[in-house]
Amino acid sequence: MEVRMRIFRFNPEKDRKPHYDVFTVEAQPTDRVLDVLEWIRGDVDGTLAFRRSCAHGVCGSDAMRINGRNYLACKVLLRDLGTTEITVEPLLGLPVIKDLIVDMGPFFEHYKTVMPYLVNDELPADGKERLQSPEQRERFDDTTKCILCAACTTSCPSFWSNGQYVGPAAIVNAHRFIFDSRDQAAVERLEILNDQFGVWRCRTAFNCTEACPREIKITQAIAEVKRAIQTGRVE
Amino acid sequence: MAATTETVRRVKVKPNYEMIAWKWMRYSAFALIPLVWIHAILQDVVVGVHAMDLGYVAERWASLFWRVFDALLLGFAFAHGVNGLRQVLNDFIHGEKGRKILNWSLFIFWLAIFLIGAIALIGGVNQQFPLE
Repeated sequence: MEVRMRIFRFNPEKDRKPHYDVFTVEAQPTDRVLDVLEWIRGDVDGTLAFRRSCAHGVCGSDAMRINGRNYLACKVLLRDLGTTEITVEPLLGLPVIKDLIVDMGPFFEHYKTVMPYLVNDELPADGKERLQSPEQRERFDDTTKCILCAACTTSCPSFWSNGQYVGPAAIVNAHRFIFDSRDQAAVERLEILNDQFGVWRCRTAFNCTEACPREIKITQAIAEVKRAIQTGRVE
Repeated sequence: MAATTETVRRVKVKPNYEMIAWKWMRYSAFALIPLVWIHAILQDVVVGVHAMDLGYVAERWASLFWRVFDALLLGFAFAHGVNGLRQVLNDFIHGEKGRKILNWSLFIFWLAIFLIGAIALIGGVNQQFPLE
């Protein structure tokens, strides 16, 4: 099949404004968007810039906007897009460095603010390990799946309009530790998120849940954090 | 050490303006369901907009129940709307000071309109019907 790739281009050293380049590519329906981008960079235009690392949906490097929706380029097959006209753009809401590469700095700054690590200053009772029942582990299983690709945060209209919002990814990672029975800093995290630019900026648009390549129920996780703040019960 | 199966933990998060505003949005919506439905069904279906005249208004105004009902409808619906407007405007305000000004301005705006409306509704007119 022949696909027409319309790719967002911006080189800050040359361009005053971004523009789109169009490439016509012969590809298989089972090729991924990443394969086509790699072919363009390797065989047509070596200046095309995009991030990729594992290329198997694990590292989260190649999140980008494909036909207006956030995907990992390595997880979306051409046939699943339902069209041969494909527009590829960088993630919205973060500054573009070059072509499809955005500055992930603001995203990771928000991530760091929610203390995304286990806090427990007490020694385990047996001096070796902190045990947990399967049910307790199951409680936060969904939010452990996050790969920090930023597809959710950059699909959120609240984040687009005001980048001060901590964003869905940061809340997901706070959720992962708030609901972990071994952790002791739930109150601190909930206080950080009890802010105009914490969980209350979420208007349940569900864009994050749709965009997540790991199928995390993000809007539900945010609602659970909201409920924990309101009721004082982490359950 | 055996793992516990207890999954509920109690935490205490200090309430703040945003948390109260969020709760308010939910609770005012609960109050609005009966207020708006009764209002809409009565005015638009039972009475009908074409049957509303000065006589109907005066009759309604004569009852303390309807005066309080309308004042509550005004207060809750307007607060619900103003809080929604605050959320929208917060998209465009990036400074802490600007947000504080916005919060207070909208609160004063709501209070002023609600008070004027409530005084007019509950205070009523000081004349006998039919008006001279």
